[in-house]
Amino acid sequence: MDFSLSDEQQLLKDSVDKYMLERYSSEQRRGYMNAEAGFSTAVWSDFAELGWLTVPLPEALGGYGGSVVDTSLLMEAFGRAAVVEPYLGTVLLGAQLLSGGNNATLQARYLEEILSGQCQAAFAYLERRSRHQLTAIDSRAERQGEGFVLNGSKSLVLNGMAADVILVTAWLEDALALFAVPADSAGLSREAFQLMDGQAVANLRFDQLTLATDSLVCEPADSLALIQRVIDEATIAVAAQGLGAMETLLKATVEYSNTRKQFGQPIGKFQALQHRMVDMYTATQQCRSLLVRALCSHSAGEPQAAMDIAALKSMVGKLGRSVAEEAVQLHGGMGVTEELSVGDYLKRLMVIDSLFGDSAWQRRRFAELRYGDVA
Amino acid sequence: MHATFSPEELAFRDEVRVFLRDNFDEQLAARIHNPKTFKTATIEWQKKRYDKGWVAPGWPVEHGGCGWTDTQKYIFDSALAEVGAPDVPPFGLKMVGPVIYTFGNDEQKQRFLPGILTGDTWWCQGYSEPGAGSDLAGLQTRAERDGDDYIINGTKIWTTYAQYADWIFALVRTDNSGKPQQGISFLLIDMRTPGITVSPIIAIDGEHHLNEVSFDNVRVPVANRIGEENQGWTYAKALLSHERTALSGIAYCKQVLSKVRRFAAEENDDGSRLLDDPVFQARMADIEMELMALEYTELRVLATVAQGGAPGMESSLLKLKGTELQQAAQSLQFDVAGLYGSVLPTEHEVGHAFGDRSRREYMYGRACTIYGGSNEVQKNIIAKFGLGL
Repeated sequence: MDFSLSDEQQLLKDSVDKYMLERYSSEQRRGYMNAEAGFSTAVWSDFAELGWLTVPLPEALGGYGGSVVDTSLLMEAFGRAAVVEPYLGTVLLGAQLLSGGNNATLQARYLEEILSGQCQAAFAYLERRSRHQLTAIDSRAERQGEGFVLNGSKSLVLNGMAADVILVTAWLEDALALFAVPADSAGLSREAFQLMDGQAVANLRFDQLTLATDSLVCEPADSLALIQRVIDEATIAVAAQGLGAMETLLKATVEYSNTRKQFGQPIGKFQALQHRMVDMYTATQQCRSLLVRALCSHSAGEPQAAMDIAALKSMVGKLGRSVAEEAVQLHGGMGVTEELSVGDYLKRLMVIDSLFGDSAWQRRRFAELRYGDVA
Repeated sequence: MHATFSPEELAFRDEVRVFLRDNFDEQLAARIHNPKTFKTATIEWQKKRYDKGWVAPGWPVEHGGCGWTDTQKYIFDSALAEVGAPDVPPFGLKMVGPVIYTFGNDEQKQRFLPGILTGDTWWCQGYSEPGAGSDLAGLQTRAERDGDDYIINGTKIWTTYAQYADWIFALVRTDNSGKPQQGISFLLIDMRTPGITVSPIIAIDGEHHLNEVSFDNVRVPVANRIGEENQGWTYAKALLSHERTALSGIAYCKQVLSKVRRFAAEENDDGSRLLDDPVFQARMADIEMELMALEYTELRVLATVAQGGAPGMESSLLKLKGTELQQAAQSLQFDVAGLYGSVLPTEHEVGHAFGDRSRREYMYGRACTIYGGSNEVQKNIIAKFGLGL
């Protein structure tokens, strides 16, 4: 049993912390968010140069060969700074799906460019009626000659607008197939939106979109397992991101309470407020523990990993929101203004809760895994 | 980062499981649970662990401890929880023992540690007073020097199992001139000394766990003082963080929840199993997820301590969250028992063995957020020392 970071992990952590300190103040962040792409292409180039885009990919495909511990380190730091660059969409979903598939042609076409920061990716899996269910979709592909023709639509695709390649789920006969769709395909239309936390998303329509024969990321029979595995790892990383945001909020709230004076003393001296901040601290510590637990069981390939991940995401979803709501309350009137970044973190944590199954959904998943098998 | 066990650790786990299979059974559990046989059965259980050399996981080997790693301690506690085996009483092994081997002199170590390990000496804790609860430093039991003795006068309260105790470790006031934390001394007192009166306090579970212990001109040799006069607060503080860590009750909570789960799988509500009810599942899942988190919070604290860190406010966190979860689990257990949970003990068969225990655990469980420094005081500690407020 060992919960410490390796030397390499510590170096990675130090490097991302240093970068965020120098290049990601809340003013800088707002500048990045207001750029045309919805994020900073300069920051993205820095990520590429620092090697962060390669972290989860295997060495054989030009990656760093890192683990979920490494991606969680990065995402936690991104959470502390409320980063808006599409690391989740491009690397943790797009690149990971391509790398986990068995289509060497697609890997050769996209991965090197993604890792060097030249290519953006996205994963389009949700539709209007899906909510959090991967298989509740209507998009369909038919075989046509050597290739396929795709019809349907996808909702709220993370990084869907900037993506050069989009991984799309659609029924092919009875299997849920995963296709790589080039963003310049005829028959693809995109509408851009922004989520309240600054992330750029898009709704997509596929209208008689033709795909080449080599568009399948993996055998259709294997795609659901691949997607589930990639989403499981992304779920851990997103929870780590949420934890980073929670820690930032706790720290900011304590600092504010020690400086803001009312009734002749810092408000942090009031016991009623102290106890609320202790609850925020406890929530953060409990989420940190579940992160460590999920990282350990997932890394070891243990069967209870699925349960640990569900518990982690459910608790970060619920407690992340409650910590953020408390942070707003304890900042008083200033907490509800755009002047402070407290609200940015609240929005980010609300979005994190909704991603990959919200707190209630993940709790149901946990309960199914835990109580469902009792004879 | 990993939580996997090495082959040696897995072998150790097997050894622990074999030991428990051979030395702990339902019958012993029932006798420990029955107030009438509690003391003899508890000592019997402690002696079995003593004979195996497994009575003091946290103590250094030189004092008779196991010298286990934190992982081994975790494996041991988990194995106990698997079979529903209770830990041995904490007063000697977890509370006064570490104070004696850390701050006591050689003579005190030789005199007291063996009885603590074998279970032959039953200890109780004399801290709280009618006027000093969570504000422990307000204690007023006086110890006045008279030659080679102290003369003790005052009253201790909430003294768990004082009716069984051979010795009490007590905080007494030897000086009133400075701050409340100064002028406190740490004394070991033989419960058979003339002038000591133990009066029972019956708790809301109907049982006699608690007592008031009064001291009327009780003579205690100065040789029974731990460390220096007026420095008792320092020694007690070191002990309190151990106590709080031990109060998290994670293994106990797991036991309660596994009983609840078994029972909920049998109990029918309108023909369907309680365990299949989504509302029940959601409530149980909330407790279990928090407990899964707290288990790793404890492991993280242990890992920090192993690297030389001191358990300060982390132990407050464990106490705070652990006792909240104990109460949540006890509430759930009571609710699963339904109206049977409200049946008072009777000689008759009431059709339900689960109820009596769920009622008693719920009722006495109300104390856990109060003892060891109330949870509100733990929050004050975390706010001040953890968050810097």
